[in-house]
Amino acid sequence: MNIHINTPEGTRDRLFSECLERRQVQSALVELFRRRGYTEVITPEVEFYDLFVQSGNPIPQEAMLKIIDRSGRIMVMRPDCTAPIARVAATKLKHLALPQRLYYGQTVFRSGQAHQGGSSEIAQCGVEMIGAVGDKADLEMVAMAVDALRCCGLKQFHIELGHAGFYRALAGRMDMPQEELERLRAAIEGKNFALLNDLLEPYRGEEACAALRRLPYLFGGVEVLDEAQALAGPCHSLDHLRRLYGELSAAGYGDCVGFDLGLVHQLDYYTGLVFRGYAEGAGAPVLSGGRYDNLMEQFGRRAEATGFAVDVDAVGACLVVDTPALETVIHYGPGLLAQALAVVDGSPAGSCELSPCRTLDSTMNLAREKGARRVLLLDGGEERWLTV
Amino acid sequence: MSERLRIALTKGRLQDQSVELFEAMGLDCSPVRNPGRRLIHALPNYPLDAVLAKAPDVITYVEHGVCDLGVVGKDTILEKGGAFYEVLDLGFGRCRFALAVKRGSDFYGTYKTRRVASKYPGVTRAFFEGKGMDVDIIKIEGSVELAPILDLADGIVDIVETGATLKENGLEPIEDVAQVSARLIVNTASMKLYKNEITDFLSRVERELGGHT
Repeated sequence: MNIHINTPEGTRDRLFSECLERRQVQSALVELFRRRGYTEVITPEVEFYDLFVQSGNPIPQEAMLKIIDRSGRIMVMRPDCTAPIARVAATKLKHLALPQRLYYGQTVFRSGQAHQGGSSEIAQCGVEMIGAVGDKADLEMVAMAVDALRCCGLKQFHIELGHAGFYRALAGRMDMPQEELERLRAAIEGKNFALLNDLLEPYRGEEACAALRRLPYLFGGVEVLDEAQALAGPCHSLDHLRRLYGELSAAGYGDCVGFDLGLVHQLDYYTGLVFRGYAEGAGAPVLSGGRYDNLMEQFGRRAEATGFAVDVDAVGACLVVDTPALETVIHYGPGLLAQALAVVDGSPAGSCELSPCRTLDSTMNLAREKGARRVLLLDGGEERWLTV
Repeated sequence: MSERLRIALTKGRLQDQSVELFEAMGLDCSPVRNPGRRLIHALPNYPLDAVLAKAPDVITYVEHGVCDLGVVGKDTILEKGGAFYEVLDLGFGRCRFALAVKRGSDFYGTYKTRRVASKYPGVTRAFFEGKGMDVDIIKIEGSVELAPILDLADGIVDIVETGATLKENGLEPIEDVAQVSARLIVNTASMKLYKNEITDFLSRVERELGGHT
């Protein structure tokens, strides 16, 4: 028989410091979320495939890990946490007063291409605020996104705000076929200036054209809002972002917040504010969120919603987490277990452990093998430190 | 403090043309021209480190953020895809993807499922999917021209520069699939984290490219 001793592509065993990193980030986030009045929900690892199709979140079919259940229905390993939570909020929480503040710490599963170094299991920790709309709800969410990355211990990071409404307003002014608009959106999302210019060339007479052409460059500080306004004229979404920025600055969050009006991903899903968090040391966004006011309706309850998710392991990888080294091994004699354990419990975690050996010689060998610096001998009335 | 950027250049012709472009911009590229045994080449008069890589690896390095920028052909981008910003068409390395068949044969004039050989199965699939046409795709690693000659395939999708190789082998291009040229790509997080450094570099490249068109 062939014994499989490897893990499947895209999965991995996490050892020691990788676990510490994940737990440290999770516990910092959970503490923040709870303090801000969020309560935890845990949804199944496996859900019906249809749930994610219904949600309108464009996760490609091939990226979902599928299982066929006994009755022949298609299930998937949860590829996203928001749709299941919207399902819960629309059904089981139907009678609770809004807004509902919910948080989760769950793994999502997405199968990527082989040999790209990506992970199929992504530990996420995130929040959803169901049933609140307007500046204050968005403000609370962005402030919490900043606090979330800060409380994890990141030093260099920032949150970038965009608005689904800005691109929609510009695209709405263009007399362009739907298919071409989708290509335009993709060119803006990918900051593909060459393709964008080609696509817009036949439309250069239209007034929204100049603004669309500049859209991929419209990221950075608050000055991009002024430039956007100069190009596109007054616009609700720009006013909205400006008001948010004013309030965020007044609350001391201004330094951590920037803008990217070219954030035009998943436009069928996001309805207003969108944002992403970037951290020095991570090659991709470590936080992603926004407002999706139409999602809940898909599950039978009209309610606005907003939220974000943190990629826990991506944040963890940016941190320096110390794994304590073993310092002391304790060799104890009969009747001295309590005394030995008291020493272990009084030491920093991982720096001290009991020796299971019968003889002191074996304990000395063990300590040498494990790289401990000294042995504490507890025997009879004796308490002696031996150097290894 | 100004951050040093790292750029991955596609080895071979694109590397030479990138170096020519950078030198025209006033960057001292002597470490790249005389690499010796080093693998990372620090440019002495601009905060840029260059590494040389095979085309698909350029995308991998940029996607993972271990390189901030990359120069890679559109052919590789179309085939491999990925999440990065494709910011500039550098204008060199121009060629095209074309569908070529045996001279005189009628590729479309049959109801039978056509068989197409290519080094670029992804590009080929996307092209025929766009037409709503089912084809059998065979991945060939070496000289693709051989496949129709040996009657393994009805046509090929391949890079065409002059068409001379096709002609010599009794093949002719019948349809353009996509235009190809070298692109400058940027890691999505680097673009945000090192905005000033990257926009400075991009505007220098753009100025140099603009000067010649």
